[in-house]
Amino acid sequence: MSAQPAMLLELKGVETYYGSIQALKGISIEVREGEIVTLIGANGAGKSTTLRSINGLNHPRKGTISFQGRDITHDAPHSIVKRGIAQSPEGRKLFPRMSVTENLEMGAFQRSDRGAIREDMERVFTLFPRLAERRTQKAGTMSGGEQQMCAIGRALMARPTLLMLDEPSMGLAPIFVERIFETIVEVNKQGTSILLVEQNALMALHVANRGYVLETGTVALADDAKALAQNPQVRKTYLGEI
Amino acid sequence: MATHAHTEVSLRRRRSYSSYVMPAVATLLVALLIAWLVVNFVKGPAYFVTIGFIGLTNGALYALVALGYTLVYGILELINFAHGDVFMLGGLFSATMLLSVFHLHAHASTLALVAAIVGSLLVAMAACGILNAAIERVAYRPLRGAPRVAPLITAIGMSFILEDVAIGWKGPGYTAVPSLLPTGPVFSVAGITYTWEKLIVVMITAPVLLLLVWFVKQTRQGKAMRATAQDRDAAAMMGIDVNRTISFTFILAGALAGTGGLVYALYFGQIRYDTGYQIGLIAFTAAVLGGIGNLPGAVLGALLIGFIQSFNEGLLWHAPGSDWTESIVFSILILILVFRPEGLLGERTPEGA
Repeated sequence: MSAQPAMLLELKGVETYYGSIQALKGISIEVREGEIVTLIGANGAGKSTTLRSINGLNHPRKGTISFQGRDITHDAPHSIVKRGIAQSPEGRKLFPRMSVTENLEMGAFQRSDRGAIREDMERVFTLFPRLAERRTQKAGTMSGGEQQMCAIGRALMARPTLLMLDEPSMGLAPIFVERIFETIVEVNKQGTSILLVEQNALMALHVANRGYVLETGTVALADDAKALAQNPQVRKTYLGEI
Repeated sequence: MATHAHTEVSLRRRRSYSSYVMPAVATLLVALLIAWLVVNFVKGPAYFVTIGFIGLTNGALYALVALGYTLVYGILELINFAHGDVFMLGGLFSATMLLSVFHLHAHASTLALVAAIVGSLLVAMAACGILNAAIERVAYRPLRGAPRVAPLITAIGMSFILEDVAIGWKGPGYTAVPSLLPTGPVFSVAGITYTWEKLIVVMITAPVLLLLVWFVKQTRQGKAMRATAQDRDAAAMMGIDVNRTISFTFILAGALAGTGGLVYALYFGQIRYDTGYQIGLIAFTAAVLGGIGNLPGAVLGALLIGFIQSFNEGLLWHAPGSDWTESIVFSILILILVFRPEGLLGERTPEGA
Protein backbone atom coordinates (compact mmCIF):
# COMPACT_ATOMS: atom_id res chain seq x y z
CA MET A 1 0.00 0.00 0.00
CA SER A 2 1.16 3.50 -0.77
CA ALA A 3 1.78 6.01 2.02
CA GLN A 4 -1.30 7.63 3.53
CA PRO A 5 -1.95 11.29 2.67
CA ALA A 6 -0.79 13.80 5.27
CA MET A 7 -2.77 14.43 8.43
CA LEU A 8 -4.93 17.57 8.21
CA LEU A 9 -7.14 17.65 11.29
CA GLU A 10 -6.74 15.56 14.40
CA LEU A 11 -8.91 15.49 17.52
CA LYS A 12 -7.55 13.59 20.52
CA GLY A 13 -9.77 12.79 23.50
CA VAL A 14 -11.87 15.94 23.11
CA GLU A 15 -14.31 16.62 25.97
CA THR A 16 -16.70 19.55 25.52
CA TYR A 17 -19.38 20.85 27.87
CA TYR A 18 -22.46 23.06 27.61
CA GLY A 19 -22.40 24.62 31.06
CA SER A 20 -22.27 21.61 33.36
CA ILE A 21 -23.56 19.13 30.79
CA GLN A 22 -20.90 17.06 29.11
CA ALA A 23 -21.68 16.76 25.39
CA LEU A 24 -18.46 15.13 24.18
CA LYS A 25 -16.87 12.40 26.31
CA GLY A 26 -13.50 11.99 24.67
CA ILE A 27 -13.82 12.14 20.89
CA SER A 28 -10.86 11.22 18.70
CA ILE A 29 -11.21 11.67 14.95
CA GLU A 30 -8.94 12.56 12.08
CA VAL A 31 -9.23 13.97 8.57
CA ARG A 32 -6.42 13.48 6.06
CA GLU A 33 -5.69 15.65 3.06
CA GLY A 34 -8.15 15.20 0.21
CA GLU A 35 -10.57 13.08 2.20
CA ILE A 36 -14.31 13.28 2.71
CA VAL A 37 -14.97 12.16 6.26
CA THR A 38 -18.49 11.90 7.62
CA LEU A 39 -19.85 11.96 11.15
CA ILE A 40 -23.15 10.16 11.50
CA GLY A 41 -25.29 9.45 14.53
CA ALA A 42 -28.61 10.22 16.15
CA ASN A 43 -29.77 13.64 17.37
CA GLY A 44 -27.76 14.67 20.42
CA ALA A 45 -24.91 12.27 19.69
CA GLY A 46 -22.50 15.23 19.60
CA LYS A 47 -22.00 15.76 15.87
CA SER A 48 -22.62 19.52 15.84
CA THR A 49 -20.78 19.92 19.15
CA THR A 50 -17.74 18.30 17.54
CA LEU A 51 -17.86 20.96 14.83
CA ARG A 52 -18.33 23.73 17.41
CA SER A 53 -15.28 22.42 19.26
CA ILE A 54 -13.22 22.53 16.08
CA ASN A 55 -14.35 25.99 14.96
CA GLY A 56 -13.68 27.58 18.33
CA LEU A 57 -17.25 28.52 19.29
CA ASN A 58 -17.19 25.97 22.12
CA HIS A 59 -13.69 25.23 23.36
CA PRO A 60 -13.05 21.73 24.77
CA ARG A 61 -12.20 21.39 28.46
CA LYS A 62 -9.96 18.41 27.79
CA GLY A 63 -8.18 16.94 24.80
CA THR A 64 -6.42 18.58 21.88
CA ILE A 65 -7.34 19.65 18.36
CA SER A 66 -4.59 20.17 15.83
CA PHE A 67 -4.79 21.39 12.27
CA GLN A 68 -1.87 20.95 9.87
CA GLY A 69 0.24 19.98 12.86
CA ARG A 70 -0.58 23.15 14.82
CA ASP A 71 -2.52 23.14 18.09
CA ILE A 72 -5.74 25.12 17.61
CA THR A 73 -7.62 23.82 20.67
CA HIS A 74 -8.01 27.23 22.29
CA ASP A 75 -7.78 29.54 19.30
CA ALA A 76 -10.50 32.16 18.72
CA PRO A 77 -13.04 31.32 15.99
CA HIS A 78 -11.77 34.05 13.64
CA SER A 79 -8.17 32.85 13.76
CA ILE A 80 -9.31 29.28 13.06
CA VAL A 81 -11.04 30.52 9.91
CA LYS A 82 -7.79 32.24 8.98
CA ARG A 83 -5.95 28.94 9.28
CA GLY A 84 -8.20 27.48 6.59
CA ILE A 85 -11.26 25.90 8.20
CA ALA A 86 -14.61 27.18 6.93
CA GLN A 87 -18.06 25.96 7.82
CA SER A 88 -21.58 25.86 6.54
CA PRO A 89 -23.41 25.64 9.85
CA GLU A 90 -26.53 23.75 10.79
CA GLY A 91 -29.62 25.85 10.16
CA ARG A 92 -27.59 27.72 7.53
CA LYS A 93 -27.21 30.90 9.61
CA LEU A 94 -27.10 33.27 6.67
CA PHE A 95 -27.18 37.01 7.30
CA PRO A 96 -30.89 37.44 6.61
CA ARG A 97 -30.91 41.18 5.81
CA MET A 98 -27.94 40.97 3.46
CA SER A 99 -28.18 40.10 -0.22
CA VAL A 100 -26.85 36.85 -1.67
CA THR A 101 -23.81 38.71 -3.01
CA GLU A 102 -23.13 40.34 0.35
CA ASN A 103 -23.42 36.98 2.12
CA LEU A 104 -20.87 35.49 -0.26
CA GLU A 105 -18.61 38.50 0.30
CA MET A 106 -18.79 37.90 4.05
CA GLY A 107 -17.51 34.37 3.43
CA ALA A 108 -14.35 35.91 1.99
CA PHE A 109 -13.97 38.31 4.94
CA GLN A 110 -10.49 37.06 5.81
CA ARG A 111 -9.18 37.46 2.27
CA SER A 112 -7.98 40.59 0.54
CA ASP A 113 -7.26 39.30 -3.00
CA ARG A 114 -10.14 41.12 -4.67
CA GLY A 115 -9.65 39.63 -8.12
CA ALA A 116 -9.59 36.06 -6.86
CA ILE A 117 -12.61 36.75 -4.66
CA ARG A 118 -14.56 37.85 -7.73
CA GLU A 119 -13.47 34.72 -9.59
CA ASP A 120 -14.54 32.53 -6.70
CA MET A 121 -17.92 34.23 -6.61
CA GLU A 122 -18.40 33.43 -10.28
CA ARG A 123 -17.38 29.85 -9.48
CA VAL A 124 -20.08 29.66 -6.80
CA PHE A 125 -22.61 31.07 -9.28
CA THR A 126 -21.58 28.42 -11.83
CA LEU A 127 -21.94 25.74 -9.16
CA PHE A 128 -25.37 27.07 -8.15
CA PRO A 129 -26.95 28.92 -11.11
CA ARG A 130 -30.00 29.48 -8.92
CA LEU A 131 -27.98 31.82 -6.72
CA ALA A 132 -26.84 33.85 -9.72
CA GLU A 133 -30.48 34.60 -10.50
CA ARG A 134 -30.95 35.87 -6.96
CA ARG A 135 -27.78 37.91 -6.44
CA THR A 136 -29.57 40.95 -5.08
CA GLN A 137 -32.28 39.16 -3.12
CA LYS A 138 -32.15 39.32 0.69
CA ALA A 139 -30.96 35.93 1.93
CA GLY A 140 -33.68 35.72 4.57
CA THR A 141 -36.40 35.74 1.91
CA MET A 142 -35.16 32.72 -0.09
CA SER A 143 -36.37 29.14 0.09
CA GLY A 144 -34.62 26.56 2.27
CA GLY A 145 -32.81 24.95 -0.65
CA GLU A 146 -31.57 28.26 -1.99
CA GLN A 147 -30.40 29.27 1.47
CA GLN A 148 -28.50 26.00 1.79
CA MET A 149 -26.75 26.65 -1.52
CA CYS A 150 -25.91 30.15 -0.33
CA ALA A 151 -24.51 28.82 2.95
CA ILE A 152 -22.28 26.29 1.18
CA GLY A 153 -21.22 28.92 -1.36
CA ARG A 154 -20.41 31.32 1.47
CA ALA A 155 -18.18 28.72 3.14
CA LEU A 156 -16.42 28.05 -0.19
CA MET A 157 -15.69 31.77 -0.55
CA ALA A 158 -13.13 31.40 2.26
CA ARG A 159 -11.12 29.07 -0.04
CA PRO A 160 -10.83 26.66 2.86
CA THR A 161 -8.36 23.80 3.20
CA LEU A 162 -11.01 22.00 5.22
CA LEU A 163 -14.73 22.54 4.62
CA MET A 164 -17.08 21.51 7.42
CA LEU A 165 -20.69 20.96 6.43
CA ASP A 166 -23.32 20.55 9.13
CA GLU A 167 -26.50 18.85 7.89
CA PRO A 168 -26.39 20.27 4.36
CA SER A 169 -29.36 18.15 3.29
CA MET A 170 -31.60 19.01 6.26
CA GLY A 171 -35.17 19.78 5.27
CA LEU A 172 -34.47 19.85 1.56
CA ALA A 173 -36.44 18.39 -1.32
CA PRO A 174 -34.82 15.21 -2.76
CA ILE A 175 -33.80 16.99 -5.95
CA PHE A 176 -31.85 19.57 -3.93
CA VAL A 177 -30.29 16.85 -1.76
CA GLU A 178 -28.77 15.21 -4.83
CA ARG A 179 -27.54 18.53 -6.13
CA ILE A 180 -25.89 19.30 -2.79
CA PHE A 181 -24.13 15.93 -2.63
CA GLU A 182 -22.93 16.26 -6.23
CA THR A 183 -21.48 19.61 -5.26
CA ILE A 184 -19.71 18.13 -2.24
CA VAL A 185 -17.97 15.58 -4.46
CA GLU A 186 -17.12 18.25 -7.02
CA VAL A 187 -15.61 20.58 -4.42
CA ASN A 188 -13.63 17.69 -2.98
CA LYS A 189 -12.24 16.80 -6.41
CA GLN A 190 -10.96 20.36 -6.70
CA GLY A 191 -8.79 19.70 -3.65
CA THR A 192 -10.81 20.68 -0.57
CA SER A 193 -10.98 18.19 2.28
CA ILE A 194 -14.44 17.81 3.77
CA LEU A 195 -15.83 16.96 7.17
CA LEU A 196 -19.49 16.16 6.67
CA VAL A 197 -22.09 15.86 9.42
CA GLU A 198 -25.27 14.22 8.17
CA GLN A 199 -28.53 12.69 9.30
CA ASN A 200 -28.87 11.21 5.81
CA ALA A 201 -26.36 8.45 6.54
CA LEU A 202 -27.00 6.60 3.29
CA MET A 203 -25.99 9.53 1.10
CA ALA A 204 -23.15 10.55 3.42
CA LEU A 205 -21.54 7.10 3.44
CA HIS A 206 -22.02 6.94 -0.31
CA VAL A 207 -19.83 10.00 -0.99
CA ALA A 208 -17.39 9.70 1.95
CA ASN A 209 -14.03 7.90 2.19
CA ARG A 210 -14.32 7.22 5.88
CA GLY A 211 -16.94 7.62 8.56
CA TYR A 212 -17.38 7.84 12.31
CA VAL A 213 -20.53 6.80 14.12
CA LEU A 214 -21.13 8.94 17.21
CA GLU A 215 -23.26 7.83 20.14
CA THR A 216 -23.90 10.02 23.21
CA GLY A 217 -20.66 11.92 22.94
CA THR A 218 -18.32 9.04 22.07
CA VAL A 219 -17.10 7.42 18.87
CA ALA A 220 -18.96 4.10 18.66
CA LEU A 221 -17.55 2.98 15.31
CA ALA A 222 -14.85 4.17 12.93
CA ASP A 223 -14.23 2.58 9.57
CA ASP A 224 -14.12 3.00 5.81
CA ALA A 225 -17.38 4.41 4.51
CA LYS A 226 -18.04 1.29 2.43
CA ALA A 227 -17.46 -1.00 5.40
CA LEU A 228 -19.74 1.13 7.58
CA ALA A 229 -22.46 1.01 4.96
CA GLN A 230 -22.25 -2.81 5.09
CA ASN A 231 -22.12 -3.00 8.89
CA PRO A 232 -25.34 -4.70 10.11
CA GLN A 233 -25.52 -2.52 13.22
CA VAL A 234 -25.22 0.67 11.15
CA ARG A 235 -27.69 -0.58 8.57
CA LYS A 236 -30.21 -1.32 11.31
CA THR A 237 -29.81 1.91 13.28
CA TYR A 238 -29.04 4.54 10.68
CA LEU A 239 -30.08 3.21 7.31
CA GLY A 240 -33.56 2.24 8.40
CA GLU A 241 -33.22 -1.50 7.75
CA ILE A 242 -35.13 -3.91 9.94
CA MET B 1 -59.95 19.79 15.70
CA ALA B 2 -63.29 21.50 16.35
CA THR B 3 -61.85 23.68 19.11
CA HIS B 4 -58.99 24.55 16.84
CA ALA B 5 -61.37 25.77 14.14
CA HIS B 6 -63.31 27.70 16.76
CA THR B 7 -60.23 29.56 18.05
CA GLU B 8 -59.30 30.39 14.52
CA VAL B 9 -62.70 31.94 13.85
CA SER B 10 -62.69 33.99 17.04
CA LEU B 11 -59.13 35.09 16.33
CA ARG B 12 -60.12 36.23 12.91
CA ARG B 13 -63.10 38.09 14.29
CA ARG B 14 -60.99 39.85 16.88
CA ARG B 15 -58.41 40.78 14.28
CA SER B 16 -61.06 42.24 11.99
CA TYR B 17 -62.49 44.20 14.92
CA SER B 18 -59.16 45.73 15.85
CA SER B 19 -58.20 46.20 12.23
CA TYR B 20 -61.32 48.35 11.90
CA VAL B 21 -61.33 50.37 15.11
CA MET B 22 -57.64 51.06 15.60
CA PRO B 23 -57.01 52.68 12.22
CA ALA B 24 -60.16 54.77 12.71
CA VAL B 25 -58.92 56.08 16.06
CA ALA B 26 -55.43 56.60 14.68
CA THR B 27 -56.78 58.45 11.63
CA LEU B 28 -58.89 60.69 13.85
CA LEU B 29 -55.90 61.55 16.04
CA VAL B 30 -53.68 62.26 13.05
CA ALA B 31 -56.45 64.41 11.51
CA LEU B 32 -56.76 66.42 14.73
CA LEU B 33 -52.99 66.82 14.88
CA ILE B 34 -52.84 68.04 11.29
CA ALA B 35 -55.76 70.43 11.86
CA TRP B 36 -53.98 71.83 14.91
CA LEU B 37 -50.76 72.31 12.95
CA VAL B 38 -52.61 73.93 10.02
CA VAL B 39 -54.47 76.41 12.26
CA ASN B 40 -51.22 77.32 13.96
CA PHE B 41 -49.53 77.74 10.60
CA VAL B 42 -52.27 79.96 9.22
CA LYS B 43 -52.30 82.14 12.33
CA GLY B 44 -48.59 82.86 12.00
CA PRO B 45 -46.69 81.20 9.16
CA ALA B 46 -43.35 82.89 9.86
CA TYR B 47 -43.51 82.06 13.55
CA PHE B 48 -44.49 78.48 12.73
CA VAL B 49 -41.44 77.98 10.52
CA THR B 50 -39.14 79.57 13.10
CA ILE B 51 -40.43 77.09 15.70
CA GLY B 52 -39.88 74.35 13.11
CA PHE B 53 -36.20 75.35 12.87
CA ILE B 54 -35.89 74.89 16.64
CA GLY B 55 -37.37 71.42 16.26
CA LEU B 56 -34.92 70.57 13.50
CA THR B 57 -31.99 71.67 15.65
CA ASN B 58 -33.12 69.70 18.71
CA GLY B 59 -33.92 66.71 16.49
CA ALA B 60 -30.41 66.72 15.03
CA LEU B 61 -28.97 66.66 18.54
CA TYR B 62 -31.29 63.83 19.63
CA ALA B 63 -30.28 61.88 16.53
CA LEU B 64 -26.65 61.81 17.64
CA VAL B 65 -27.62 60.25 20.95
CA ALA B 66 -30.37 58.00 19.53
CA LEU B 67 -27.92 56.45 17.06
CA GLY B 68 -25.77 55.28 19.97
CA TYR B 69 -28.70 53.39 21.51
CA THR B 70 -29.64 51.87 18.19
CA LEU B 71 -26.08 50.83 17.23
CA VAL B 72 -25.53 49.04 20.52
CA TYR B 73 -28.99 47.49 20.55
CA GLY B 74 -28.48 46.29 16.99
CA ILE B 75 -25.35 44.39 17.88
CA LEU B 76 -26.00 43.18 21.44
CA GLU B 77 -29.78 43.50 21.86
CA LEU B 78 -28.96 45.49 24.95
CA ILE B 79 -30.40 48.85 25.97
CA ASN B 80 -27.28 50.64 27.12
CA PHE B 81 -28.81 52.72 29.88
CA ALA B 82 -25.44 54.30 30.60
CA HIS B 83 -25.40 55.84 27.12
CA GLY B 84 -27.16 59.06 28.13
CA ASP B 85 -24.57 59.55 30.87
CA VAL B 86 -21.71 59.03 28.43
CA PHE B 87 -23.34 61.85 26.44
CA MET B 88 -23.50 63.99 29.58
CA LEU B 89 -19.81 63.37 30.33
CA GLY B 90 -19.12 64.28 26.69
CA GLY B 91 -20.78 67.61 27.41
CA LEU B 92 -18.66 68.13 30.52
CA PHE B 93 -15.46 67.17 28.67
CA SER B 94 -16.38 69.64 25.95
CA ALA B 95 -17.19 72.43 28.39
CA THR B 96 -13.87 71.86 30.14
CA MET B 97 -11.98 71.82 26.85
CA LEU B 98 -13.67 74.96 25.53
CA LEU B 99 -13.25 77.01 28.70
CA SER B 100 -10.17 75.71 30.51
CA VAL B 101 -8.02 74.46 27.65
CA PHE B 102 -8.91 76.77 24.78
CA HIS B 103 -9.91 79.67 27.09
CA LEU B 104 -12.75 80.69 24.82
CA HIS B 105 -14.86 83.69 25.63
CA ALA B 106 -17.87 85.28 24.01
CA HIS B 107 -15.85 87.60 21.78
CA ALA B 108 -13.33 85.15 20.38
CA SER B 109 -12.37 85.42 16.72
CA THR B 110 -14.02 83.07 14.23
CA LEU B 111 -10.76 81.24 13.64
CA ALA B 112 -10.17 80.66 17.36
CA LEU B 113 -13.80 79.53 17.70
CA VAL B 114 -13.58 77.00 14.86
CA ALA B 115 -10.24 75.65 16.08
CA ALA B 116 -11.54 75.29 19.63
CA ILE B 117 -14.74 73.58 18.50
CA VAL B 118 -12.92 71.11 16.26
CA GLY B 119 -10.31 70.43 18.95
CA SER B 120 -12.94 69.90 21.65
CA LEU B 121 -14.99 67.76 19.31
CA LEU B 122 -12.09 65.40 18.66
CA VAL B 123 -11.25 65.15 22.35
CA ALA B 124 -14.88 64.56 23.34
CA MET B 125 -15.34 61.91 20.63
CA ALA B 126 -12.16 60.07 21.61
CA ALA B 127 -12.81 60.26 25.35
CA CYS B 128 -16.45 59.12 25.09
CA GLY B 129 -15.57 56.39 22.58
CA ILE B 130 -12.92 54.94 24.88
CA LEU B 131 -15.17 55.34 27.92
CA ASN B 132 -18.05 53.54 26.20
CA ALA B 133 -15.83 50.67 25.05
CA ALA B 134 -14.42 50.38 28.57
CA ILE B 135 -17.96 50.17 29.97
CA GLU B 136 -18.69 47.30 27.58
CA ARG B 137 -15.48 45.53 28.53
CA VAL B 138 -16.08 45.84 32.28
CA ALA B 139 -19.86 45.69 32.68
CA TYR B 140 -21.34 43.85 29.69
CA ARG B 141 -18.81 41.43 28.19
CA PRO B 142 -18.43 39.28 31.32
CA LEU B 143 -22.23 38.84 31.24
CA ARG B 144 -22.43 37.87 27.56
CA GLY B 145 -23.78 34.41 28.36
CA ALA B 146 -25.96 35.49 31.29
CA PRO B 147 -29.75 36.02 31.10
CA ARG B 148 -30.65 39.20 29.25
CA VAL B 149 -31.74 41.06 32.40
CA ALA B 150 -28.25 40.87 33.99
CA PRO B 151 -26.43 43.29 31.63
CA LEU B 152 -29.53 45.52 31.74
CA ILE B 153 -29.07 45.87 35.50
CA THR B 154 -25.34 46.52 35.23
CA ALA B 155 -26.18 49.13 32.58
CA ILE B 156 -28.41 50.95 35.07
CA GLY B 157 -25.64 50.58 37.65
CA MET B 158 -23.11 52.08 35.24
CA SER B 159 -25.49 54.98 34.68
CA PHE B 160 -25.51 55.81 38.41
CA ILE B 161 -21.74 55.44 38.64
CA LEU B 162 -21.19 57.88 35.77
CA GLU B 163 -23.58 60.40 37.31
CA ASP B 164 -21.71 60.13 40.62
CA VAL B 165 -18.45 60.65 38.78
CA ALA B 166 -19.92 63.80 37.23
CA ILE B 167 -21.05 65.07 40.64
CA GLY B 168 -17.63 64.29 42.11
CA TRP B 169 -15.93 66.14 39.26
CA LYS B 170 -18.16 69.17 38.70
CA GLY B 171 -20.46 69.21 41.72
CA PRO B 172 -24.25 68.96 41.59
CA GLY B 173 -24.81 72.36 39.97
CA TYR B 174 -24.81 73.32 36.33
CA THR B 175 -21.58 73.80 34.45
CA ALA B 176 -22.23 76.89 32.39
CA VAL B 177 -20.82 77.53 28.94
CA PRO B 178 -21.22 81.20 27.92
CA SER B 179 -22.89 81.58 24.54
CA LEU B 180 -19.94 81.21 22.21
CA LEU B 181 -21.80 80.65 18.97
CA PRO B 182 -22.81 83.67 16.88
CA THR B 183 -26.54 84.22 17.19
CA GLY B 184 -27.03 86.57 14.23
CA PRO B 185 -29.32 85.61 11.36
CA VAL B 186 -28.07 83.47 8.48
CA PHE B 187 -31.05 84.75 6.56
CA SER B 188 -34.20 86.62 7.39
CA VAL B 189 -36.94 86.37 4.80
CA ALA B 190 -40.56 87.36 5.21
CA GLY B 191 -40.24 87.36 8.96
CA ILE B 192 -38.59 83.92 9.05
CA THR B 193 -35.25 84.07 10.78
CA TYR B 194 -32.66 81.31 10.74
CA THR B 195 -29.81 81.96 13.13
CA TRP B 196 -26.16 80.93 12.95
CA GLU B 197 -26.07 78.87 16.13
CA LYS B 198 -28.80 76.60 14.72
CA LEU B 199 -26.97 76.22 11.42
CA ILE B 200 -23.74 75.36 13.24
CA VAL B 201 -25.52 72.57 15.13
CA VAL B 202 -26.65 71.10 11.82
CA MET B 203 -23.19 71.71 10.30
CA ILE B 204 -21.62 69.58 13.03
CA THR B 205 -24.35 66.94 13.09
CA ALA B 206 -25.05 66.26 9.41
CA PRO B 207 -21.51 65.28 8.33
CA VAL B 208 -21.16 63.00 11.34
CA LEU B 209 -24.43 61.25 10.44
CA LEU B 210 -23.51 60.89 6.76
CA LEU B 211 -20.07 59.58 7.66
CA LEU B 212 -21.65 56.99 9.94
CA VAL B 213 -24.07 55.74 7.29
CA TRP B 214 -21.26 55.51 4.72
CA PHE B 215 -19.07 53.72 7.21
CA VAL B 216 -21.61 51.06 8.16
CA LYS B 217 -22.73 50.49 4.56
CA GLN B 218 -19.41 50.49 2.74
CA THR B 219 -16.41 49.68 4.88
CA ARG B 220 -15.09 46.29 5.90
CA GLN B 221 -15.49 47.12 9.58
CA GLY B 222 -19.04 48.31 8.92
CA LYS B 223 -19.90 45.08 7.17
CA ALA B 224 -18.45 43.16 10.11
CA MET B 225 -20.75 45.18 12.37
CA ARG B 226 -23.82 44.37 10.29
CA ALA B 227 -22.93 40.70 10.08
CA THR B 228 -22.32 40.49 13.84
CA ALA B 229 -25.65 42.20 14.47
CA GLN B 230 -27.52 39.74 12.26
CA ASP B 231 -25.91 36.52 13.50
CA ARG B 232 -23.02 36.60 15.95
CA ASP B 233 -22.00 32.93 15.64
CA ALA B 234 -22.15 33.02 11.86
CA ALA B 235 -20.05 36.19 11.89
CA ALA B 236 -17.39 34.40 13.94
CA MET B 237 -17.47 31.51 11.46
CA MET B 238 -16.72 33.99 8.66
CA GLY B 239 -13.53 34.97 10.45
CA ILE B 240 -14.87 38.17 12.00
CA ASP B 241 -13.35 39.03 15.37
CA VAL B 242 -16.66 39.44 17.17
CA ASN B 243 -15.29 40.96 20.38
CA ARG B 244 -13.30 43.52 18.46
CA THR B 245 -16.34 44.37 16.36
CA ILE B 246 -18.47 44.87 19.48
CA SER B 247 -15.79 47.08 21.08
CA PHE B 248 -15.63 49.06 17.88
CA THR B 249 -19.41 49.57 17.90
CA PHE B 250 -19.21 50.95 21.43
CA ILE B 251 -16.39 53.29 20.39
CA LEU B 252 -18.52 54.54 17.51
CA ALA B 253 -21.61 54.98 19.71
CA GLY B 254 -19.50 56.78 22.33
CA ALA B 255 -17.99 59.11 19.73
CA LEU B 256 -21.50 60.03 18.58
CA ALA B 257 -22.50 60.69 22.19
CA GLY B 258 -19.39 62.84 22.60
CA THR B 259 -20.37 64.86 19.53
CA GLY B 260 -23.84 65.24 21.02
CA GLY B 261 -22.35 66.38 24.31
CA LEU B 262 -20.34 69.10 22.60
CA VAL B 263 -23.34 70.29 20.58
CA TYR B 264 -25.50 70.35 23.70
CA ALA B 265 -22.95 72.29 25.73
CA LEU B 266 -22.54 74.86 22.96
CA TYR B 267 -26.20 75.22 22.08
CA PHE B 268 -27.92 75.04 25.47
CA GLY B 269 -25.04 76.51 27.44
CA GLN B 270 -25.48 74.53 30.66
CA ILE B 271 -25.09 70.91 31.58
CA ARG B 272 -24.99 68.87 34.77
CA TYR B 273 -24.90 65.31 36.07
CA ASP B 274 -28.56 64.45 35.30
CA THR B 275 -28.75 66.01 31.80
CA GLY B 276 -27.90 62.65 30.26
CA TYR B 277 -30.76 60.93 32.01
CA GLN B 278 -33.32 63.33 30.52
CA ILE B 279 -31.85 63.55 27.02
CA GLY B 280 -31.09 59.82 27.09
CA LEU B 281 -34.73 58.91 27.66
CA ILE B 282 -35.88 61.21 24.85
CA ALA B 283 -33.23 59.81 22.49
CA PHE B 284 -34.11 56.25 23.49
CA THR B 285 -37.75 56.98 22.65
CA ALA B 286 -36.61 58.38 19.30
CA ALA B 287 -34.66 55.17 18.59
CA VAL B 288 -37.69 53.02 19.45
CA LEU B 289 -39.99 55.27 17.43
CA GLY B 290 -37.83 54.85 14.33
CA GLY B 291 -37.27 51.15 14.94
CA ILE B 292 -34.56 50.13 17.39
CA GLY B 293 -31.52 48.76 15.59
CA ASN B 294 -32.32 50.76 12.45
CA LEU B 295 -29.95 53.66 11.73
CA PRO B 296 -32.13 55.83 9.41
CA GLY B 297 -35.02 55.05 11.78
CA ALA B 298 -33.15 56.58 14.72
CA VAL B 299 -32.58 59.80 12.75
CA LEU B 300 -36.21 59.95 11.61
CA GLY B 301 -37.49 59.26 15.14
CA ALA B 302 -35.18 61.92 16.57
CA LEU B 303 -36.30 64.56 14.07
CA LEU B 304 -39.97 63.73 14.73
CA ILE B 305 -39.48 64.02 18.48
CA GLY B 306 -37.60 67.27 17.94
CA PHE B 307 -40.53 68.70 15.99
CA ILE B 308 -43.12 67.35 18.44
CA GLN B 309 -41.26 68.97 21.32
CA SER B 310 -40.76 72.35 19.65
CA PHE B 311 -44.34 72.59 18.36
CA ASN B 312 -45.71 71.54 21.71
CA GLU B 313 -43.61 74.06 23.60
CA GLY B 314 -43.60 76.90 21.10
CA LEU B 315 -46.89 77.11 19.22
CA LEU B 316 -49.38 79.64 20.53
CA TRP B 317 -52.81 78.22 19.67
CA HIS B 318 -53.83 75.41 22.05
CA ALA B 319 -50.39 73.92 22.54
CA PRO B 320 -50.14 71.81 25.72
CA GLY B 321 -46.89 73.56 26.67
CA SER B 322 -43.53 72.42 28.01
CA ASP B 323 -45.00 70.90 31.19
CA TRP B 324 -46.49 68.22 28.97
CA THR B 325 -43.52 67.47 26.73
CA GLU B 326 -42.27 64.46 28.69
CA SER B 327 -45.79 63.07 29.07
CA ILE B 328 -46.30 63.33 25.32
CA VAL B 329 -42.93 61.80 24.48
CA PHE B 330 -43.49 58.83 26.78
CA SER B 331 -47.08 58.38 25.60
CA ILE B 332 -45.58 57.99 22.15
CA LEU B 333 -43.14 55.42 23.53
CA ILE B 334 -46.01 53.42 25.04
CA LEU B 335 -48.16 53.64 21.90
CA ILE B 336 -45.27 52.52 19.71
CA LEU B 337 -44.39 49.61 21.99
CA VAL B 338 -48.02 48.45 22.06
CA PHE B 339 -49.07 48.97 18.45
CA ARG B 340 -45.91 48.96 16.38
CA PRO B 341 -43.02 47.58 18.43
CA GLU B 342 -40.80 47.32 15.35
CA GLY B 343 -41.02 51.13 14.97
CA LEU B 344 -41.66 53.25 11.91
CA LEU B 345 -38.86 51.88 9.72
CA GLY B 346 -38.22 48.54 11.43
CA GLU B 347 -39.08 45.32 9.63
CA ARG B 348 -41.35 42.68 11.05
CA THR B 349 -38.93 39.78 10.91
CA PRO B 350 -39.45 36.26 12.17
CA GLU B 351 -35.87 36.15 13.43
CA GLY B 352 -35.04 34.56 16.70
CA ALA B 353 -37.74 31.99 16.05
